Amino acid sequence: MFLTRSEYDRGVNTFSPEGRLFQVEYAIEAIKLGSTAVGVATKEGVILAVEKRITSPLLEPRSIEKVMEIDEHIGCAMSGLTADARTLIDHARAETQSHRFTYNEPMTVESCTQSLCDLALRFGEDGEDSMSRPFGVALLIAGWDESGPCLYHTDPSGTFVKYEAKAIGSGSEGAQSSLQEHYNKDLTLKEGETLALSTLKQVMEEKVTATNVDIAIVAPKFHLLTDEEIQEVIDRL
Amino acid sequence: MDKGPHGHVERPSWSPYDNNGGTAVAVAGEDYCVIAADTRMSTGFSILTRDHTKLFKVSDKCVLASAGFQADAKTLQKTLDARHQQYQHKHNKEISCPAMAQLLSNTLYYKRFFPYYTFNLLGGLDNEGKGCVYTYDAIGSYERTGYSCQGSGQQLVMPVLDNQLKSASPLVLPAVSSATPLSEAEAMDLIKDTFASAGERDIYTGDAVEIIIINRKGIRKEVLPLKKD
Repeated sequence: MFLTRSEYDRGVNTFSPEGRLFQVEYAIEAIKLGSTAVGVATKEGVILAVEKRITSPLLEPRSIEKVMEIDEHIGCAMSGLTADARTLIDHARAETQSHRFTYNEPMTVESCTQSLCDLALRFGEDGEDSMSRPFGVALLIAGWDESGPCLYHTDPSGTFVKYEAKAIGSGSEGAQSSLQEHYNKDLTLKEGETLALSTLKQVMEEKVTATNVDIAIVAPKFHLLTDEEIQEVIDRL
Repeated sequence: MDKGPHGHVERPSWSPYDNNGGTAVAVAGEDYCVIAADTRMSTGFSILTRDHTKLFKVSDKCVLASAGFQADAKTLQKTLDARHQQYQHKHNKEISCPAMAQLLSNTLYYKRFFPYYTFNLLGGLDNEGKGCVYTYDAIGSYERTGYSCQGSGQQLVMPVLDNQLKSASPLVLPAVSSATPLSEAEAMDLIKDTFASAGERDIYTGDAVEIIIINRKGIRKEVLPLKKD
């Protein structure tokens, strides 16, 4: 792939003659280097589970933040260049709050995801705040709105798709096929937590502990599990 | 007061507002909302038209009634309609009445220092299908109530509505539903009576009253003639 670099690699918004945007495709590649994140939607709520790579024993695990709250009814897990996700999440937080201000109601999860994707594709434009390159991050957006619990996946191309269960990041291939095998629509929230964490466990190199994973649920409000709560899920595995 | 360059007191002569009169009344029940306004439009002692609607259907579950200055009311209606179209495109759904209520408040407050001279009632059904009435001042302060009225007949109508519908203070008795206990037919009768009465004493209220009824079956309109004097 790197041997076929061409002049179409230069401009971020230049189509190659075959109709491809290379920089966007490379950004999608960047996600495959990221830590794995798993999302599972059940009828009782949505679960997000992410692995935290503890690269040094001196590292403070709580400083790694890969699951974040967007609004009280929407949470987000990320994989790839997590610094890029900050810009996206800041945007989503502003959008959901602006929606509350204007309409006195929570924003739907799909509208929030749409506004994130609008920003994801708004790169390479002139302007101070504009991103010069595609965002190298994929997001799993878990939420609960008037139509119930739901899970969306977004990528650097600004595409978003609704999923019942989805894995992103370096272990995503294995995790996704495992999810496909074990997922069913009638899972309870607890079973969903167990499925998400056991799926993550399969693709993680280290042993799962309460410090090297983060779990969040949206049921119907966002809640980041405490170490004790994570330990409970681990004990259920 | 300071003397102007011509040696006499000068006052600004620019007056961008008019008051076209008219009365609007709304009553909400457990599963319906009735919202009504007369069709007379006046200026000073003149009647401009006997057939001008003050009601605006925002959606199938939400109707706006505006008394005050009808040029401002028209612009307000157009603004809200445009915002509603945008909302539908962006969110793939019709706006709810409580959401439109907040949007109307923001739209009015946005013109805090050159307000729309309109006095609004927003009536409809909320997300649970319960009747709701929102009542506003000209700059967007609003409240959800079970019944309200606005416009030139307000001073005549409001005491009657209070007498018939006001529930006990929550300090005295436990708070009850935000909607009134009336049936739809009772609410219709009450509204017709208030307009017939207001038309007797208020010169800005008369000609006809348009009544819009919103319930789970849908939305319908009735017109009742009033005295034309």
